[in-house]
Amino acid sequence: MTEREKLAMLEEMLELEEGALNVDMELDDIEEYDSMSKLSLIVLMEDEFGVKLDANTIRGFKTVGDILKLMV
Amino acid sequence: MAYAKYNNISIEGISVCVSDKWTSLYDISEQDEKTISKFMKRTGVTGRYDAGVRQTSADFCYSAAKELIEKNNIPLNKVGVLVLVTQTADYNTPSTACVLQMRLGLDTNCIAFDVNLGCSGYVNGINIVSSLLNSVDAEYGLLLCGDTTAKEKSQKYRTRLTNSASMLFGDAGSATLLRKKTEADNISILLNTDGEGFKALITPYGGWRNPDVDDPSELADYMDDIEVFNFATTKVPEQIFNIMKINGTTIDDYDCLALHQANLYIMKQIQKKTGFSSEQMLVSIDKFGNTSSASIPTALVANFGDDNSDRVIRIMGSGFGVGLSWATIDMAVNVKNVLPVIQTSEYFEDGYNKIN
Repeated sequence: MTEREKLAMLEEMLELEEGALNVDMELDDIEEYDSMSKLSLIVLMEDEFGVKLDANTIRGFKTVGDILKLMV
Repeated sequence: MAYAKYNNISIEGISVCVSDKWTSLYDISEQDEKTISKFMKRTGVTGRYDAGVRQTSADFCYSAAKELIEKNNIPLNKVGVLVLVTQTADYNTPSTACVLQMRLGLDTNCIAFDVNLGCSGYVNGINIVSSLLNSVDAEYGLLLCGDTTAKEKSQKYRTRLTNSASMLFGDAGSATLLRKKTEADNISILLNTDGEGFKALITPYGGWRNPDVDDPSELADYMDDIEVFNFATTKVPEQIFNIMKINGTTIDDYDCLALHQANLYIMKQIQKKTGFSSEQMLVSIDKFGNTSSASIPTALVANFGDDNSDRVIRIMGSGFGVGLSWATIDMAVNVKNVLPVIQTSEYFEDGYNKIN
């Protein structure tokens, strides 16, 4: 899966326009990345990548790129 | 394994009482319309019944219990057990259940006490009342579950709460009438607790561990939503599978899945993971919000309360939350015994009058 495809998955999850995200963006600056979105992220990561995210891992995410690193 | 099975206890009636005031979230929250709409879509909550200024959980539970007693013509001296599950009791002491024993006019030959549990409280409560009925000479037991969480969360000093928490909860009280019989449909229950997660949902200050607060906002509740979500979507499906394995059943044996109405997103995840269909899953969070320990009976009443048909349905119910505590029940109830929702503005001044 390409970087753009992964970004597109996150854009869809956050209900953002295509191309709205890039890897360097700080998560704190993305209004749509709220507490409910974090729950959607848990489901997406488990369903699509078999990765189980715990609370500490999610709190450790600073940028969009940090999430992408686990989308493997 | 904390597994209990009863073949001599029947669920004779379920009722739920709320206030007469329903309000849309658009009129409750100060957030912008877009944020509220997004919240509604994700959690399923569109509005809630708010307790009146003087109404308490006990007032709702009283009305629900009174309705059951009257509709079923229950002799008051035959009710020997009364358990109130609440986290919003009338007083710190005594147990509000004692006040309700008096208010309902029950005989003094009655066990009555409160249980401090939240969303797993309904299933735990059925187990407590059923086992007590088997240990004492009483025919009927009442399980009351109620909380005024919306009221609690709208108090001005609870400023530390996230805005979403102020929109999620509703106020309600329920009553379930249990009867000891020679033979009854099986009730089986599986219960778990994991205190390792006690900080995930907590009111840390104001009790005797941390009695003093510098600022009233310290009295707020805390919820680690990620930890709670991971807990609920992992442990609850596991417990549901376990009880079906023990009972030798499959999802097709159940007419409905009555989950604690935590929020629709969590409920859907549990439904999906367990394989129940979306048609089987009961929803009441849309109109009532998350009503804590009253949410399983609220889901039943919201979906079957106006159905007078004489048919027995088999229910897979599961409550999960603060503790962390989770509890699943396999039970049957006749639809005609699930009463329509009661609405009231009634409250009681049966409390303590300060003597100067």
